[in-house]
Amino acid sequence: MKRFEVRIMDADDEELKRISEIMGLSLNLDEMRRLKRYFVSKNREPTDVELQSIAQAWSEHCCYKSSKKVLQEFVFGIEAPQNMLVIKEDAGVLEFDEEHAYVLAFESHNHPSAIEPYGGAATGIGGIVRDVICMGAQPIALVDPLFFGHLDYPDEKLPETVKHPRFLFNGVVAGISDYGNRIGIPTCAGMVYFDEGYVGNCVVNVGCVGIMKKSDLSRSMAKSGEVLVLVGGKTGRDGIHGVTFASVELTGEEEFRSAVQLGDPIRKEPLMHAILEANEKRLISGMKDLGGGGLSCAVSEMCHAGGCGAEIQLENVKLKEEGLSAWEIWVSESQERFLIAVEPEKVEELLAIFEKWDVDAVVVGEGKAYPHREKKIRIFHDGEKIFELDTDFLVSCPVYERSIEIRKKEEEGLEEIEEPADYNETLKLLLASPNIASRECVIRQYDHEVRASTVIKPLQGLIGKETHGDAAVIKPLESSYKGIAITTDVNPSFCKTNPFWGAASVVDEVCRNLTAVGAVPHAFADCLNFGNPEKPDRMGDFHECCRGLGYMASSLGIPFVSGNVSFYNESAAMNESIPPTPTILGVGICEDIRECVTVDVKEVSNFLYLVGETKKELGGSEYYKLRSVEGGIVPRTDPEVLRMRMDALREAMKAGLIASCHDVSEGGLAVAVCEMLIGGDIGASIDIAGVNPELRSDYKLFSESNSRWVVEVWKEEKRRFEVLFKERGVCISKIGETEDEKRVGICDGGKKLVSLSLEEVRSVWTGNIC
Amino acid sequence: MPVKICILRIEGTNCELETFLSFKRLGAAAAAEIVHLKQLIGAVKEREKRNLKDYDLLVIPGGFSSGDYIRAGAILAARIKGALGKEIVDFVRTGNPILGICNGFQVLVEMGLLPGFGAAHEEIEMQQAALTTNDSARFECRPAFIKHENRGNCVFTRGIEKGRILKMPCAHAEGKFFIDERNRETYIQLLEENDQIVFRYVGPDGNYASYPWNPNGSIYNIAGICSPEGNILGLMPHPERAFYAFMDPEWSRSARGRGKDGEKEKGDAYGDGDGKKIFEAVLNYLRL
Repeated sequence: MKRFEVRIMDADDEELKRISEIMGLSLNLDEMRRLKRYFVSKNREPTDVELQSIAQAWSEHCCYKSSKKVLQEFVFGIEAPQNMLVIKEDAGVLEFDEEHAYVLAFESHNHPSAIEPYGGAATGIGGIVRDVICMGAQPIALVDPLFFGHLDYPDEKLPETVKHPRFLFNGVVAGISDYGNRIGIPTCAGMVYFDEGYVGNCVVNVGCVGIMKKSDLSRSMAKSGEVLVLVGGKTGRDGIHGVTFASVELTGEEEFRSAVQLGDPIRKEPLMHAILEANEKRLISGMKDLGGGGLSCAVSEMCHAGGCGAEIQLENVKLKEEGLSAWEIWVSESQERFLIAVEPEKVEELLAIFEKWDVDAVVVGEGKAYPHREKKIRIFHDGEKIFELDTDFLVSCPVYERSIEIRKKEEEGLEEIEEPADYNETLKLLLASPNIASRECVIRQYDHEVRASTVIKPLQGLIGKETHGDAAVIKPLESSYKGIAITTDVNPSFCKTNPFWGAASVVDEVCRNLTAVGAVPHAFADCLNFGNPEKPDRMGDFHECCRGLGYMASSLGIPFVSGNVSFYNESAAMNESIPPTPTILGVGICEDIRECVTVDVKEVSNFLYLVGETKKELGGSEYYKLRSVEGGIVPRTDPEVLRMRMDALREAMKAGLIASCHDVSEGGLAVAVCEMLIGGDIGASIDIAGVNPELRSDYKLFSESNSRWVVEVWKEEKRRFEVLFKERGVCISKIGETEDEKRVGICDGGKKLVSLSLEEVRSVWTGNIC
Repeated sequence: MPVKICILRIEGTNCELETFLSFKRLGAAAAAEIVHLKQLIGAVKEREKRNLKDYDLLVIPGGFSSGDYIRAGAILAARIKGALGKEIVDFVRTGNPILGICNGFQVLVEMGLLPGFGAAHEEIEMQQAALTTNDSARFECRPAFIKHENRGNCVFTRGIEKGRILKMPCAHAEGKFFIDERNRETYIQLLEENDQIVFRYVGPDGNYASYPWNPNGSIYNIAGICSPEGNILGLMPHPERAFYAFMDPEWSRSARGRGKDGEKEKGDAYGDGDGKKIFEAVLNYLRL
């Protein structure tokens, strides 16, 4: 059966709700009523194809109905001279140099990964790579921040419908490794974060950066008279209702497995070459990748953008199996597909390119101008008309102003914890804690240097002794030393304790990471992962996080250029939402990659300085977690202060004063210093007497105050360094010297705190999360 | 006559561009060409057809040819054997060199061209060794130190002194060089006698070492071997990812990015990486 009619013209509210449920539309009553009014005005019943298509277009995932207002208020619209095409399409486009642009896309793939971690994560990569390609750009880097429950989560506590964090973690990492490595794009940045709040709903974010000639920019639009060509993989039953599935809470039901698409990197790889070749030959007028909502969303969005309608011959679509109904073909999210708009006289040449690459390409319809400027999409299936909707109606998604409830501000921990008796033990526990310990075993499973342009790697330091870098740097062009620094970050514990300052801290940390390698922060993409927006406290967290992101980014003048919002990240079984997780992918520009700085300490007898001020800001810190303290003050930040410090630091780097640099984040000053020493395989004596003398030693060592870095200054540059920072009005304190003996010694004036061999420090940090 | 270089591509090969650039940077641009297998087989339009015998060097780059879903390199090897078997044999017999990097090495082993004992006497020899799953059972992307041990037979390393240690990254899941136990001793001896051993994994101190320095558990620490005639080289590490010094994971440790009186010196970041030597050596060989 190709299609059937759904009787909604006479349906009452109860029936409308039932229709939405039975057909898996995920539309609420108001939206169903609106549908009914539309078809009553047309004096006919809708077909199932039409209802399914509208459900895709109006899903939270596709149309941001809960988030749009908040995003517009805080996050969108940050003007910057580098902006070329931001927010409007699948990826943001920014100026790189006179001739080139870079492209940025960032997305979540949470629900698919929670059901089927390997396939979910792999197709997450596939989707984000398509977003970059469809702008006409060559992908050059992947990033993948991941969030799970603790790997040692007790089996007996786990509800039956929830998969164990270790299973999810292993599957997701393997999925990224297998897909990313096969398509030949380096995975060069990311994070792995563990928190109990992700047990019921893991979070898998994937980002991609691309590079292109400005003249190759392709828009996602189709114009009247242009031919629509579907290229790439065949269409099947995988990935049906992916977007509507992403727009409800997880129930853990296995039936949703069919909503997870199947990736095929070896179809993607030649597809990518063929598209970029066709685009370079100017055969493509517009294109869009088929992601959420499949053909339905691609056709309607391209036609809407180009101001025309379309006529589609559905039987031309190549299928993986027989017997798909029309609506399944229309909304399937099968992977590795693009829709291309092409001028009629260029169709033949276009098809020839795809044939050369052994990639399917078929004409499925054309952009059409109907009389009276009507913009309709009509679909025919073997000659029978099964669909006729006004594009304006189809894309006129509702926008909601959800009610919000802003949680009360965190308070300072009332109980003062006791100072640790054994600092050695405390530091070792911190270094081994799941959010600090080495990620080497994950990073090495990703090919982070295919394309031979990763000039600053994710792991830095002496070979065999490497430590975590703050950002990776890609040199995208053969003929230029200009580089792109890439990092991702978020601190969910901060955001959980105080969403506004937590989100502001994300921006601070991303800027710190980029500055640490010597880059100027240039653009952000955001992946905002939250719970059910229909619950006011979740919506309140979302509102506050967006306000925090906007406050920082707009003061710094760094635009948010693309991203996505993922709501409904909670599972019925655990009855709780994930911690607010506004992940940011940050890109910075390095004028000359040969001036980049890495984390690892370089030489004996150099000086170590702390840049920035340390306050008693330990709310959400790893130290408080270790000591089981709830609450406390989440680190604050001031964009003006951050900017001054970043400028001074880059100036010192440019002048060649800095040997190594690391931002201070999880675990505070003590952990930052240890990570630098581990990478350089060099010891140090540290005295923190000069660090905020009002603070107790443990707060000095483990506070996670923002806008701070530890730098190693070449011994003969000490004076120039101190003068420069004094002139720039930036607070620094000398905290020690690197030394011959492979030992980490820390004291606070006369008080000895830590004395550990470097080998011991490395061995606890190395741990074993894999 | 410029040296003509064929860099083979099919779906899933993914290191062809950086391999091409490595030749281009040495002034071989006009002659290096990325060629799809279909072009060599003739399954394309007339003007896109290419003939293997017009080339002086064949390079099979890294990647996951055809997805490597059966066994790394197996599908491409079968496709080449099936469609180009005779051309390849002729190509090799004329003494033309072939370079296989990573997946390319796997393909050459699957085809029986490496180690290729007795290949000169038969069409294409049976497979005598394998590149199998890493001991860690994981994909391993990590820098490796490899010691050059060839005594002069291999045309890709002439000019690199014996005993020299080179640094270049590995990135593979199936790179463990393996010979079944029955033949192991004999074959290793043959490899030694024929001067077919080119690179072996060592630690930073230059001594043979186990994981992670031998990233995959290869027997005899083998990282790269050549054919008995020395004109076919296969290696797991990626020389094209070590062309310039700034591709080295440790470059920032030696490039101090500063100098006296604040004059900037960009130091070693300007310099060459170890991988460049291999591309230079084969071009020198071909130009003679």
